[in-house]
Amino acid sequence: MASSAAFTTDAAASTSGEAPPSREAGGNMEGLENMYVKVASTLAKLKKQVQADRQVHVKKRVESNREQLKRYTEELVKLNNRAKECSKGQEPEGLESLCLHNERLLGNLSNTDESGDKDGKSGLDESNVEKLVPIIFGSCLAGKTAVRPVKLPKVENVPPYTTWIYLDRNQRMTEDQSVVGRRRIYYDSDGNETLIASDSEEEDAGDDDDKEHVKHDFTKGEDSIIWMTIQELGLSPILLEELAHLIDIKQEDVEAPFKELTVEADVDDHHKSQVGVVLPAALEDDQTQPKDLVAAMDSFDNLFCRRCLVFDCRLHGCSQAIVHPSERQQPWSNREYGDPVVCSEHCCHLQSQSSDSGRNSAPTDAPVGLKDSKRKQGLSKSSEEQQDLSSSQKEDGDVLDCEHKRSRTSGGEIIPSSDRQGAVESMSTETVDSLQNTTRTVSTFKQVDLSQKLEKLLGATRKTGLHQPRKTVTQGEGNNSDKVEGGSVLEAEGTEPIFLNVPASLSMHREEKTLKNSDAMGKAKVEVGKNWTMLEMGLYKKGVQIFGKNSCLIAKNLLKGFKTCAEVAQYTLEQETMEGGSDGGRHSSTDYGKGMQDIDAENRARIYGGRRKGRVRKLKYTWKSVVHPLIRKRMANGKDQPCRQYTPCSCLFTCGRQCPCLLNGTCCEKYCGCSKSCKNRFRGCHCAKSQCCSRQCPCFAAGRECDPDVCRNCWVGCGDGTLGGPPARGDSYDCHNMKLMLKQQQRVLLGRSDVAGWGAFLKNPVGKHEYLGEYTGELISHREADKRGKIYDRENSSFLFNLNDQYVLDACRKGDKLKFANHSPNPNCHAKVIMVSGDHRVGIFAKERIGAGEEIFYDYRYEADRAPVWAKKQDDPNQKVQDMPSTSGRARKLPEGKPL
Amino acid sequence: MALKAAGPAQATAAKPGGVGMEPVVGSLTAGKKNREYKVTNRLLEGKRPLYAICFNLIDSRFHNVFASAGCNRVTVYQCLTEGGAVAVLHAFIDEDKEEEFYTVSWAVGDNGSPLLACSGSNGVIRIVDCGKGSFLKSFIGHGDSVNELRTQTLKPCLIASASKDESVRLWNVNTGVCILIFAGAGGHRNEVLSVDFHPSDILKIASCGMDNTIKIWSLKEFWSYVEMSFTWSEIPSKFPTKYVQFPLFNALVHSNYVDCTRWLGDFILSKSVDNEIVLWEPLYKEPGITANEGKVDVLQKYPVPDCDIWFIKFSCDFHFNTLIIGNRDGKVLVWEAQTSPPTLIAKLSHSQCKSPIRQTATSYDGSTILCCCEDGCIWRWDLVS
Repeated sequence: MASSAAFTTDAAASTSGEAPPSREAGGNMEGLENMYVKVASTLAKLKKQVQADRQVHVKKRVESNREQLKRYTEELVKLNNRAKECSKGQEPEGLESLCLHNERLLGNLSNTDESGDKDGKSGLDESNVEKLVPIIFGSCLAGKTAVRPVKLPKVENVPPYTTWIYLDRNQRMTEDQSVVGRRRIYYDSDGNETLIASDSEEEDAGDDDDKEHVKHDFTKGEDSIIWMTIQELGLSPILLEELAHLIDIKQEDVEAPFKELTVEADVDDHHKSQVGVVLPAALEDDQTQPKDLVAAMDSFDNLFCRRCLVFDCRLHGCSQAIVHPSERQQPWSNREYGDPVVCSEHCCHLQSQSSDSGRNSAPTDAPVGLKDSKRKQGLSKSSEEQQDLSSSQKEDGDVLDCEHKRSRTSGGEIIPSSDRQGAVESMSTETVDSLQNTTRTVSTFKQVDLSQKLEKLLGATRKTGLHQPRKTVTQGEGNNSDKVEGGSVLEAEGTEPIFLNVPASLSMHREEKTLKNSDAMGKAKVEVGKNWTMLEMGLYKKGVQIFGKNSCLIAKNLLKGFKTCAEVAQYTLEQETMEGGSDGGRHSSTDYGKGMQDIDAENRARIYGGRRKGRVRKLKYTWKSVVHPLIRKRMANGKDQPCRQYTPCSCLFTCGRQCPCLLNGTCCEKYCGCSKSCKNRFRGCHCAKSQCCSRQCPCFAAGRECDPDVCRNCWVGCGDGTLGGPPARGDSYDCHNMKLMLKQQQRVLLGRSDVAGWGAFLKNPVGKHEYLGEYTGELISHREADKRGKIYDRENSSFLFNLNDQYVLDACRKGDKLKFANHSPNPNCHAKVIMVSGDHRVGIFAKERIGAGEEIFYDYRYEADRAPVWAKKQDDPNQKVQDMPSTSGRARKLPEGKPL
Repeated sequence: MALKAAGPAQATAAKPGGVGMEPVVGSLTAGKKNREYKVTNRLLEGKRPLYAICFNLIDSRFHNVFASAGCNRVTVYQCLTEGGAVAVLHAFIDEDKEEEFYTVSWAVGDNGSPLLACSGSNGVIRIVDCGKGSFLKSFIGHGDSVNELRTQTLKPCLIASASKDESVRLWNVNTGVCILIFAGAGGHRNEVLSVDFHPSDILKIASCGMDNTIKIWSLKEFWSYVEMSFTWSEIPSKFPTKYVQFPLFNALVHSNYVDCTRWLGDFILSKSVDNEIVLWEPLYKEPGITANEGKVDVLQKYPVPDCDIWFIKFSCDFHFNTLIIGNRDGKVLVWEAQTSPPTLIAKLSHSQCKSPIRQTATSYDGSTILCCCEDGCIWRWDLVS
């Protein structure tokens, strides 16, 4: 503990101000010094103890390991001995007989007292150790057992390569694959120099610093030291300082584990520990409540790639920004195909026949009937749960309408209904405002949690508003709702953030309890009508999106085992009734569908609170024919620029000037949020006879593959057509510009190249312009590529390929056989970056007819100043034998053709 | 092999374990349990360096037989008990003069004959039959030189190879198939320098290399392929070789090349260029792809002065009691491997042994120590009883 004792008076002086006043008995340095000594000695003692404990621990671990290992080796010895026993009867042969022979021989030799330096056999005594015994091979000595070496026939190994993994499509690099910030140590082939693959030491140091900032992991020993010293000496700045010194971390970090330990120590004692600790626990209660469908789907939404239609996409990654298409497919429905087919015994069509008239007339007959209003309440409550603020606010109006109606019908109430209504109205809006304030001020809450609470609160206030009359009449149990009112009004009044800060959390708790009460009340009411859980309602909504209001399909596909077709139909009817009742039948069913979409979108926006919102100001769009002039322009003078990585925009309907695609210089694609009529969309081709294989095809000219979703006449059949493919469009001219997408590639063989190392060869002959295959690899950033390039250049083999402005393809560890295609200044193939369904990919195409078994070459097109020696052009006047110091980068392959 | 003659590296000290997690460091000032060894023989194979030496501990009939590798030659010797005598049994010479063998390991053929697997700069693994003294077969597949071969003691027809091509491969010597390739997304990022089979858990392999990591691989999900290899009768290239892309455990114990790793029960002994051998315990969590860096508990350290160049390998006796390593100056340290704190049994040096000792071999009971040196010498030390 020399280190902790080595404080100076200087340090003491600096901390004297912070010393607890109670300990300043004399107020002089001496007292402080004593303090230090005390702290230091205690710490030293504890440290020693912890270290002793550690030694004992290690000893125990080593001992137990030894026991285990001993058991195992003994077992192995037994096994060996048994094998030896078995073979005992047999005549020793081969090596065994040779060994025995040697032993016998040695016995003879030692008997005759000859030193055995013949036949490569030798014995050295202490005296003649200095004598070196050379082993002579191949020569036949006079002795009987001269060693004649066995020759191993020469075998040529395969050309050198680093083990690689086959990829059939590109993959984005994962974080752990990065070489950035990692030291790579080299040894010069001549000897002693150590080289590190990073630009500067500074960078290394920076990275190291970053690592050190990572939270210190406290060992058990450290925990116990902190705990025991603070227990013994009390929390004081001096102690913290010394502890920090001991453990070699920052002072403020020491306090954290102590607090954790304190919390652990008295779990029951919630009140004593800080509010910050209690609150999360309270919030957890909220999370354990059943989630609705949207919340449950969150992880799926996160993992699903909408571009590749797979989970956990290796190319586009998880947690992609979700783009909500402005145009949705019309719900699929089989209603137009004549008579409805009865789906099951509970089919709505069976029931509707019996009770058709009664049901249909219900909404018109009794608009203000008590039963109906009850149902409405249930429904409004259920939708409140799922909808976000704006929509529920809108519905406030509906609810209040109902109130109006009911107060009219039920006549003599105790409380004047108009007053009540006014109160509810003002209160709910105020609550919203105040709670929104709270959202801003109370930063400790997650926004999502808060907004959920908010909704509940809203629901509650509304509910209490609604149920108040009934309660007062039947049970007089107005306490709960009063509390809610009180709570929210209190908050509504509170305009100061400080005031809101603390009571908000407290009142929240109270409200939560009351909420539960009123929730239960509400549920009981719903159960009178029907028993739809949140999940079921969520599934129903999804069903409407997919199938329209086809109860048969919804019940069959989404609610199987939960709800029958008839129940779904009834629910649909009630939904419609509610809509019709509140909006005067303004919504047609398609409108309704759209409404649901909006709600869905907003729901998601709520869940993905932090994500970018897909709302862009709608502008009158007058920029005429924006795509094509741009395309032309870029085709004309953009040759030398790398193509741009496409990221789907989430614009609604049409893209304005702020559209990320437009700003980035890419076209909008089918994955964008905007509608098909967006001016920035690439509209595909209308080719028919030309088969999209010349520059006449706009897709081909733009360096893109055709897309059956976009182009008019390019399409793909499924199998032999028995599965019912899409109806044939026009004449059946095959589009020849979809080969990467369809993976219609040539068989490539790997072999020893005629030029150097490995080479890629074609199995079958191909014609000119034929697509051979894709150059796949890891998608890495340019920064990463520079780092890796350094390593690869050292090994003089690089598999980097410039893809676009964001990514470089690296096929070193992951790729396909085409990565072994060699460079040639007079190649038979060329590489081209092509846009396929929004992704840039590298295709290798034949430049000429290539025969079966021929090797594939293409021009790597290295930039002159970065090219390795072997790739430099012969007639290049700048050619130099040694590598030129490149300023900005490493050799990377470049494509010949580039898409937009 | 100029590369392996490389000098000291910039060594940065490994992260300290924190208070209460300190490793127990053995003391170099030898204790009471001193044992005495003396040089009993010295052989000169040639002028070129010897990289590997290995006793046959997997076959009890040949516990006194050892093999050395260096240059384009592998030699099989017998240690005779009397007077430190050593007899040459076989010598195998590659016709390719460029070949330089780096490693050698014993195996057992299907008829029980002692086999020897050796490989080196060429990357071709050669299997020779020491019983008959004949060449058997070659395994082609590694894309670059092979740095180490090891044999599974429980199934002595299985060998693992660690290569410069950043992969570890598992082979069946008898059927000649490459069963598994340990490389890919979670694999080594630079040359693999060393590999070892777990002594009792047949499903575990440890490997380490120039990417400073030590990885533990599990064969659990792939054991059916290993089983399949025992009875494979078609041509070896038809075998459905599998890639194992993700290790069970990835440890960053050292901050420089890790050139030797050996299991010590469930613990691992490993060394870098930091003048010490480290004993550590992998603290497994539930395995998974995302398990990026495993936590380790560094238990003990065995200091080895002047051992700061890479490609110096240590060895243990059959029972893992003695741990023997040579250093850059031709000195040998004999540690008691399984005591806490580690005790130094002996420190061996000879006035004429000055060249770096690339590898040591320890006999079955630890009574004989062999060292192969950069200058082509083999030194034999015997315990003085």
